[in-house]
Amino acid sequence: MRVGLFVTCLVDAMRPRIGFASLRLLEAAGCQVVVPENQTCCGQPGYNSGDRETAKTLALKLLDEFETCDYVVAPSGSCAGMIRVHYPDLFRDDPTVLNRISLLAQRTYELADFLVNVVKFDAAPGHFAGTLTYHDSCSGLRELGIRDQPRALLATMPGVTVKEMAEATTCCGFGGAFAVKFGELSTRMADNKCRHIEAAGVDAIVAGDLGCLLNIEGRLRRRGNHTTQVLHIAEVLAGNEGDD
Amino acid sequence: MSARERILARIGTAIGNHDAEIDAYLVEHPRGPAPALRDNLITHFRERALQLSSDVIEVAHPGEIPAQVAHYLAERGLPPRGACWPVVGSLPWGEANLEIAVRGANSQDMVGITGTFCAIAETGTLMMLSGPETPPSNSLLPETHIAILNTRRIVASMEDAWDLLRKEHKAPPRAVNFISGPSRTADIEQTVTLGAHGPYRVLIILVNA
Amino acid sequence: MQVSSIHFKRSVTEKLNDEKLQNALSRLQTRFVEGRAAVIGEIADFEETRTAAAAIRDRVLKNLDQWLLHFEQQAIARGALVHWAESGADVNRIVTEIATLHNVRRVAKSKSMVTEECGLNEALEHAGVEVVETDLGEYILQLAHEAPSHIVAPVVHKNKEDIADLFAEKHQLPRKTGIPELCREAREILRPAFLAADMGISGANFLIAETGSALIVTNEGNGRLVTTLPRVHVAITGIEKVVPTLEDVTTLLRLLPRSATGQSITNYVSMLTGTKDAADHDGPEHFHIILVDNGRSSLLGGDMQSMLRCIRCGACMNHCPVYQNIGGHAYGWVYPGPMGSILTPTFVGLENAPDLPNASTLCGACGVVCPVKIPLPDLLRQLREKQMSLGLKSWQEKLALKLWGWMARRPAVYAMVIKITVRILHFAGGKERMLHHLPGASGWTAGRDMPAPQGKTFRELYRQRKLS
Repeated sequence: MRVGLFVTCLVDAMRPRIGFASLRLLEAAGCQVVVPENQTCCGQPGYNSGDRETAKTLALKLLDEFETCDYVVAPSGSCAGMIRVHYPDLFRDDPTVLNRISLLAQRTYELADFLVNVVKFDAAPGHFAGTLTYHDSCSGLRELGIRDQPRALLATMPGVTVKEMAEATTCCGFGGAFAVKFGELSTRMADNKCRHIEAAGVDAIVAGDLGCLLNIEGRLRRRGNHTTQVLHIAEVLAGNEGDD
Repeated sequence: MSARERILARIGTAIGNHDAEIDAYLVEHPRGPAPALRDNLITHFRERALQLSSDVIEVAHPGEIPAQVAHYLAERGLPPRGACWPVVGSLPWGEANLEIAVRGANSQDMVGITGTFCAIAETGTLMMLSGPETPPSNSLLPETHIAILNTRRIVASMEDAWDLLRKEHKAPPRAVNFISGPSRTADIEQTVTLGAHGPYRVLIILVNA
Repeated sequence: MQVSSIHFKRSVTEKLNDEKLQNALSRLQTRFVEGRAAVIGEIADFEETRTAAAAIRDRVLKNLDQWLLHFEQQAIARGALVHWAESGADVNRIVTEIATLHNVRRVAKSKSMVTEECGLNEALEHAGVEVVETDLGEYILQLAHEAPSHIVAPVVHKNKEDIADLFAEKHQLPRKTGIPELCREAREILRPAFLAADMGISGANFLIAETGSALIVTNEGNGRLVTTLPRVHVAITGIEKVVPTLEDVTTLLRLLPRSATGQSITNYVSMLTGTKDAADHDGPEHFHIILVDNGRSSLLGGDMQSMLRCIRCGACMNHCPVYQNIGGHAYGWVYPGPMGSILTPTFVGLENAPDLPNASTLCGACGVVCPVKIPLPDLLRQLREKQMSLGLKSWQEKLALKLWGWMARRPAVYAMVIKITVRILHFAGGKERMLHHLPGASGWTAGRDMPAPQGKTFRELYRQRKLS
């Protein structure tokens, strides 16, 4: 099966190793992975800020780039949710595009969801050893129903112990532009998350969205915590092969 | 144009042409989804009523009620006096050394005694209908409310209670009150405290007739 | 009520640093959030019930005029008088006229958020009528001259020490410290107010078209007292609160208390129809029902219509991580939390509450708990779109969005700009790989670091690998 990897703009710019980890996982699962090289952004920043027109333009661009793939997979619940849930809404009044975009939306998955529910993958090659806690990123959880999938994958790794933290499903305060516009509020929300992470007493905090991870890591370090690792689920599952 | 006409006109314009099937819907009055009960009605009712902090006593014959009431009041240091609805006025209250006046309660009464139109097992709730013979004050003003309930009048759901109301009365009375335990408030620090403005305690006497 | 939503940001800072408020808010989370989670399990198919409830509310809105007319007809047939109010000022005028008509000196009032919209208490007091709020929380706020900070638990922002001090000062009685003693004191102070009141004012959680009834849910019993003892009862509620049948209201009652306070049912559910008969021992002789528009009809037929499904349970604010951290006062009007962030700009104007639609991470928690399935995050997003189309966004934000959009459509330009940016930020991050300051993003870096980028983009590295 031909799987298009949408690495997301944030992973592309900030943490390419998450993109490579995703690539390795998909290949390990037997997928033929294509990475359209002109991909940029799914349009979510504009969409969530009220700029619907820009979001539509970027949605059409993504549609052109990925339409020939059997599946589209993104290492992000938020970007996958944008495509799966919100793209059809963008074109609700445009029947010709709506049909195409809906077909693409139905074939779009967040990485952990895809690995568990589509390719039934259970042989994560990663070698993480230690305790970790999983933060349920909002869009993945509430738009795509991603909760058990990453935990199921982590449970297949012999060295990993998952410890649930309090309020794992509460927002970390990232929210894209919200984190800058309402910095103080966003910082408090991140701080609450950090307290729960620290109370769980784990070696690493893991999530499926880089936005949350940057927010959490930024707050943990500012709090003076330089020990808790902050990792994307793909990094844990795939292990690190010198992608830095 | 009056405010009424202007509001209705605005609504009419906003919702556009509609094909109202109001009468048909009212005739049909369909039920929504309702939870199934695990136990029989009486068991379920008693369990839920206790969860809501009501007290529940069962008696086999109405004649046992006065002694049970006297015992309940004495145990709690409450005065053996109160006001009751006519429907339970003929019980031998005096034999149990209780002074129960047959009238609507006032703010001085410490004990109010009522019957019950019916009760709802799903939530442990009493349904009371107002009327000249069934004044709501008796379940509201005194600090102790005692409700006498025939177990045959326990229905599964509020929907069943409405059907009973429709069957036995042409229209709802001025006040239909559903009572689920003693009055309470959680306004201060979200801490539940019994006895806000209504009764501090509700005793339900189940009569297994 | 005065609108102060324009000061949202300033207020947020204040609330985040109010330690007492922060403690109070954590209680709300435990009681209401955990309470709800515990009782929704009693209903085997909670989702099915939510869907049914949303359908009931939509059925009403689709034919709102017809249902209101049917309600009015039934209510009048039973002896109630029905008034229609277009605005808050109308409500105040109508109630004052009713008070004058019946020679009313004293009013006992149970909780009504609609009357907060109107500022009814001030209007009545101006007309020489004494008003006592009888819901414990509202009574405390009336003594303290404060506004509610939650639609269900209005005094959630105060602790028992505050209330003990307030009661000691206002009641001139020895200071109590236990919560039961404080409640008992309020009961004893307020009971005479119920008995002396000439008129009771209540809201109505629902109006039932089938029977022409007003239905009120309360726990304290004050709702029953104000609708039973005074000779005049005035029920004031929004035009959207009508529901067709007794069965429909039952479905909604399975959700309202569970969503609001985590109760299977409230202590009292009172359905009031018409006036007392001559032979009745109690009940009002006059029953007035005021149907309030005050901006509601403007939501019909538009993209905010689903907001009119709202049954005012407060679950959206209880579960909102923003509300949980700042409480209700920061929102600056009657309704806080996600529902308030939609109602306030809609009722008082987007320009008067520009921050509210944006003060959300769109985390979706509100949408999944809403008992009538209002797509709250989508409505917030639509208000943001409205801000954009009305030119209410700052030029900086508009420029940033347009620039991003322009770049993202041009992969070559995009690749170049991102490549340069991540190089610079990578080096700025130093050995620590952490940025402590970021120009233009001080909102982020004031309280957080920004992890530095790895230095090369995924697309660069991917191309290199393919070539090697």
